[in-house]
Amino acid sequence: MPEETRENPVAAIEARHLSRRFGSVAALDDASFAIARGEFVALMGASGSGKTTLMNLLTCLDTPSSGELRLNGVDAAGFDEEARREFRARHIGLVFQQFHLIPYLSALENVMLAQHYHSVTDEASARRALEDVGLAHRLDHLPSELSGGEQQRVCIARALVNEPPLLFADEPTGNLDAENEARVLDILRRLHGEGRTIVMVTHNPALGAYAQRIIRLQHGRIVP
Amino acid sequence: MMLRMLRQSWRRNPRRKLLAVATVFLAASLLSALMLVSIGIGDQMAKEMKSYGANILLEPAEQAVLPSLFGEGEDNPLAGQSTLQESELPNIVDIFWRNNIVGFAPLLNGEVAVDGHSVRVIGTFFDHVLAVADDPEYRTGQKIVSPYWQVDGAWPDDARAEALAGVALAGRHGWTPGTLLTVDGEALRITGILRSGGEEEEALVAPLARVQGWLDRPGRVGSVRVSALSVPENDLSRRAIRDPDALDAETYDQWYCTAYVSSIAHQLEEAVSGSIARPIWQVAASEGAIIEKIQWLLIMATCAALIAAAMGIASLMTSALIERAKEIGLMKALGAHDWRIALLFYAEAALNSVVGAVLGCLAGWGLARAIGWQLFGEALAFSWIVVPSVLLVSLFIALAGTWFPARRIVRLDPAEVLYGRQ
Ligand SMILES: Nc1ncnc2c1ncn2[C@@H]1O[C@H](COP(=O)(O)OP(=O)(O)O)[C@@H](O)[C@H]1O
Ligand SMILES: [Mg+2]
Repeated sequence: MPEETRENPVAAIEARHLSRRFGSVAALDDASFAIARGEFVALMGASGSGKTTLMNLLTCLDTPSSGELRLNGVDAAGFDEEARREFRARHIGLVFQQFHLIPYLSALENVMLAQHYHSVTDEASARRALEDVGLAHRLDHLPSELSGGEQQRVCIARALVNEPPLLFADEPTGNLDAENEARVLDILRRLHGEGRTIVMVTHNPALGAYAQRIIRLQHGRIVP
Repeated sequence: MMLRMLRQSWRRNPRRKLLAVATVFLAASLLSALMLVSIGIGDQMAKEMKSYGANILLEPAEQAVLPSLFGEGEDNPLAGQSTLQESELPNIVDIFWRNNIVGFAPLLNGEVAVDGHSVRVIGTFFDHVLAVADDPEYRTGQKIVSPYWQVDGAWPDDARAEALAGVALAGRHGWTPGTLLTVDGEALRITGILRSGGEEEEALVAPLARVQGWLDRPGRVGSVRVSALSVPENDLSRRAIRDPDALDAETYDQWYCTAYVSSIAHQLEEAVSGSIARPIWQVAASEGAIIEKIQWLLIMATCAALIAAAMGIASLMTSALIERAKEIGLMKALGAHDWRIALLFYAEAALNSVVGAVLGCLAGWGLARAIGWQLFGEALAFSWIVVPSVLLVSLFIALAGTWFPARRIVRLDPAEVLYGRQ
């Protein structure tokens, strides 16, 4: 792990002139912003505005074409593939719109999988993570036996079980009904209350209201 | 955790695995059947061929050249003149290839007066017990060497004054099982009538010891029929037959230590002094040729089955990897090393192949039994060596079939499969 530089000790995420081009298309163009530790930020914009592209950079699933990126003070722009893998396992929790649970593993085992690739499995703490999202009674159910809202909560438990400092959620309620949407947002708010840094992608302005701050994207550029 | 994933994947999604298992199962059952048949067929075919008669004839050296001059049998004025020593017969089962010796039977020909007629007699072993190096109660004789002999009535007891009468001889004199004859002043009982298709049908066939007494040739033997299991002749053995002394030391050892009919014959000559061994070539050669042909056929079919299985596994694995791309992407996003993901798929392929191989061994055994019944009218024995061999080969084809598609895992981009393209 490269040593931390203390230019801005409170910033969880710091981007300067960050760009990502696919051929001639600039999916993300010269983005500069900072997100403080413990902040709850919504990333908003129309479809195709570059939200997922930015998320992939912030979650170390992709590398920027140019610009600087610091995650928890670490220079992430220069990461090679192995460094990105390592950083994802240690520091990042991911919540997906499509949940992406392994269909043949139970809720508990899906959570334990994240522990397995992080370090070692610990069934008790995996169970606690599921209890925290209100799924104590669904531990041994397969994803196919759970409702969409329950699957999303398993996904959140999986993202949190290794206690990552950064939590990213891409359209976490895009596939949920209003009632489940409210539950998931409640959980995110509670996590924010516990001091976690959360970045949530959404194109729904009503959800943006839950966040402390909104970063807007338009055609790959950040707009005020 | 990996074991748990394997177990759950199997338990909750068995149908997906069944195709892979079935592929390995088919190849493994063919392979094990073919192996069992290959192993069994050598012995079985040789045994089968044995029913056409003994395949080596051991004669006194001086006599061997004469039959061609005088013709076989009674016309030969010197027949029965030069002889071998009965006391040396146990050496036959003490040669290097003793385990390949199925049995032997001595022969002593002559004429005796029976109730006033001159009758041809053959002294031999029927089911004789004698002491040899490895076995104090070794049994051998015509019952083993000439399984094609048909006896109406009972076989004589080698220790008693009993004999078989050749069917032609018995017909002329009106002898039947139970007839009592007088030979050399003592009673001799006919226990059975013999059909052999050979010269024995004209003779009275009696225990060797009695015939030696009648002919006053104690301890002497005219010739010995030996039945031996052998491997097909090849270039080396043919060179050795022409002139064993022309081989260098190493090739000589190689020839000597391979169970060719010629090398067994050579060792028999060393074992019984003054003897010359004459392989009965027709039987030995056809034995070799047929076995060789069948084995080639089996080897080729097995190779084709294995290649087909490896390709089948590769295509199943490829589609499994495409189907499970999201799963792989997720593992990568969670920070899994590529090798850990690959290991999961290799382990799954290995598990499928072990299940398929074990079931395949069972089915292959059944198949081999069926083939045994078809070809030989009896089941082939089960060889345990087949189980580990089939398991190893199945594992190998499963892993080889996984290797190519598994390289996809490394290339897969998690961002792409998890979010799709918008
Ligand atoms: N892997 C890629 N290759 C080529 N173009 C891409 C790729 N990913 C995204 N883009 C393009 O970048 C732009 C932003 O896409 P994206 O980040 O997915 O937007 P959003 O998530 O806001 O809908 C789009 O024009 C899209 O076509
Ligand atoms: Mg998107």
